[in-house]
Amino acid sequence: MTDHADHAGHADHAGRDGDSDVLLEVRGLEVHFPIKSGLIFDRTVGHVRAVDGVDLRIRRGETYGLVGESGCGKSTLGKAILKLEPPTAGSVVFDGTDIASLEGEELRRARKRFQMVFQDPLSSLDPRQTVESILIEGMRAHGLDTDKATTQARLRELMSAVGLPPAGLSKYPHEFSGGQRQRIGIARALSVGPDLIVADEPVSALDVSIQAQVINLLQDLQDELGLTYLVVAHDLAVVRHISDRIGVMYLGGLVEESGAAELYDLPLHPYTRALMSAVPVPDPLVEDSREQILLSGDLPSPANPPTGCRFHTRCPWRQETRCDTERPELRVVEVEGASPGHRVACHFAEEIASGAIQPHDVEPVLVAEGFSGPVTGPAPPPPDAYSTP
Amino acid sequence: MTQHQTIRSSPRSTEPLLSVRDLRVTFQRRDERAFKAVDGVSFDVRPGQTVGLVGESGCGKSVTSLAIMGLLPKRGNTVEGEAVFDGDDLLSLSPSQMRDRRGADIAMIFQDPLSSLNPVITIGRQVTEVMERHQGLSRKEATPKAAELLDRVGIPDPKARLANYPHQLSGGMRQRALIAMALACSPRLLIADEPTTALDVTIQAQILALLKELVVDTGTALVMITHDLGVVAGLCDEVNVLYGGKIVERGGRHGLFRQPRHPYTVGLLDSIPRLDAPRGEKLNPVPGSVADNLPWDSACAFAPRCSHRVDVCTREMPRWDGDDVVGFRCFNPVGGPR
Repeated sequence: MTDHADHAGHADHAGRDGDSDVLLEVRGLEVHFPIKSGLIFDRTVGHVRAVDGVDLRIRRGETYGLVGESGCGKSTLGKAILKLEPPTAGSVVFDGTDIASLEGEELRRARKRFQMVFQDPLSSLDPRQTVESILIEGMRAHGLDTDKATTQARLRELMSAVGLPPAGLSKYPHEFSGGQRQRIGIARALSVGPDLIVADEPVSALDVSIQAQVINLLQDLQDELGLTYLVVAHDLAVVRHISDRIGVMYLGGLVEESGAAELYDLPLHPYTRALMSAVPVPDPLVEDSREQILLSGDLPSPANPPTGCRFHTRCPWRQETRCDTERPELRVVEVEGASPGHRVACHFAEEIASGAIQPHDVEPVLVAEGFSGPVTGPAPPPPDAYSTP
Repeated sequence: MTQHQTIRSSPRSTEPLLSVRDLRVTFQRRDERAFKAVDGVSFDVRPGQTVGLVGESGCGKSVTSLAIMGLLPKRGNTVEGEAVFDGDDLLSLSPSQMRDRRGADIAMIFQDPLSSLNPVITIGRQVTEVMERHQGLSRKEATPKAAELLDRVGIPDPKARLANYPHQLSGGMRQRALIAMALACSPRLLIADEPTTALDVTIQAQILALLKELVVDTGTALVMITHDLGVVAGLCDEVNVLYGGKIVERGGRHGLFRQPRHPYTVGLLDSIPRLDAPRGEKLNPVPGSVADNLPWDSACAFAPRCSHRVDVCTREMPRWDGDDVVGFRCFNPVGGPR
């Protein structure tokens, strides 16, 4: 379990070579959900393109953060990587094996090496099982529960690793607080000795003071056990804090990917810029002085995504040509200060970075919930489509 | 967007619009120990001022707002203290007197827009209902006003939206519709209980900008209840930090963030990963959880989790050290005594 410890923590090495180091490689991953209609015969009337062509690589010992707003497909991507959601197309190569093509017993066995931590710790723990039985279940399934003494020692080790008293083993999930439950969820993931842990919003259900405790725990465990993390979250500050590399998702696709520090210092995609400027900072001086890019309108429906660049309906830097017709590839851009690992899916990233293209007002397009697609109609100009106070 | 600067420094000399004094809410279930959700909270809100109530879950911030609005169920709850609004104590009004006030003088915006809107009634009907009830308008008269309101809160194509049901709108649009309803009768006080918590950050930024603008344009006083210190930093003139049902620190927005005095405020600020801070540093969380609280009667509730604890903290309740503008409740504050 500790054999990867020496690989831990080489985040600044942003180059895309060094393939031997890559633990997980996702290529062209797509997850589409059918939209059914009809009372007697289920006809498929369309697809929600939750994940629509994502490529990413995660190196051993690295923390990869996936951010985006609700409905952008980040959780589905996390689940598809673990094959908890069958992918429609694409491959997920985990340490040389394509998980996407594994089935049945082979898949079950492979799962020992990649585990998940869920968002809501209460609903992801069986209320009728004691903590001991929750932790032992996975070990038993993978043949790790061989003799009683070793298992008991291992259970106590797990509990102390996540900072819970051994006496907690005989308790039930409801007897714990939210933060402690999340610790049990983490202990369960650790029980089978995985290499990769996918954490889907691991702290968003917790209070801020508890959030910090769990974030610190995740980091300590990584240092100790050489774990690789894929952290899916909507909170940019949290993701920036724990990740080495960050991918920003918008409507099923990655729009920008770079090292954590660089993404915040030099955001190149218009969406990343807007997202970053929207996060409130607990400092009145910063709040009063910073430029805020207010996006107009809502996230379009992934069942009926905009043509071309998915962000063009809300983009203050949108251009007449290409944006609404041609979907931009994730590419390395030549911008001063950008490292080779910094990739952006924007046709005009260089021009925007140099200031050759200036932002303009955007009329909001009303987005209806469900499959009806955008409701078209004459939209009045918004009060503040784009403003810099 | 720039004129909100002026209103922030609203004259302190004006009389408070809402004055909450020693508010106490006790939950009592049969055969169980009484639980003090709000334990002596006092604060003032002046016209045009934005006052923040901040704290983690269970600190009593929402119960405070529900008690002021008279929305707590009568059964099993005791509400004591005063909430004087414009000369009347809201807590002693009869239910029918309170109904005349609610929605007209005082309005509330809730956290979850979908569950606070009626799913089987159109948006238009829900907005006009308020005006019909309080301003005696007919539905015909109220409808164009409703469209104006929707337009003002930034809903595109407002006339067509009047006929929509809540499920047809996105989360951000629903929250805007809820704000439109709250503004329908030009209330003098608006209470917003976590209005952006259920929304994405880019939508949150839109809604916060809208609230700021409305406070400036209409001079409405705003009570902002949130757990997010970032939201407070951008919006509130005065900040009250709650812990275990009591206000543990109060200050102007600049003072409080520059020099927090109560160890809990300091702990909260240290727990948040900041977007603009250097990376790589460990977070410094507050240890333990609210389950470790001591009763306020004989101790400081925060003492078991406090890094600044001294002996007296577990024996006596700390008194309020300060006035109604700045102050804290602590025996051993960060940065020494006042």
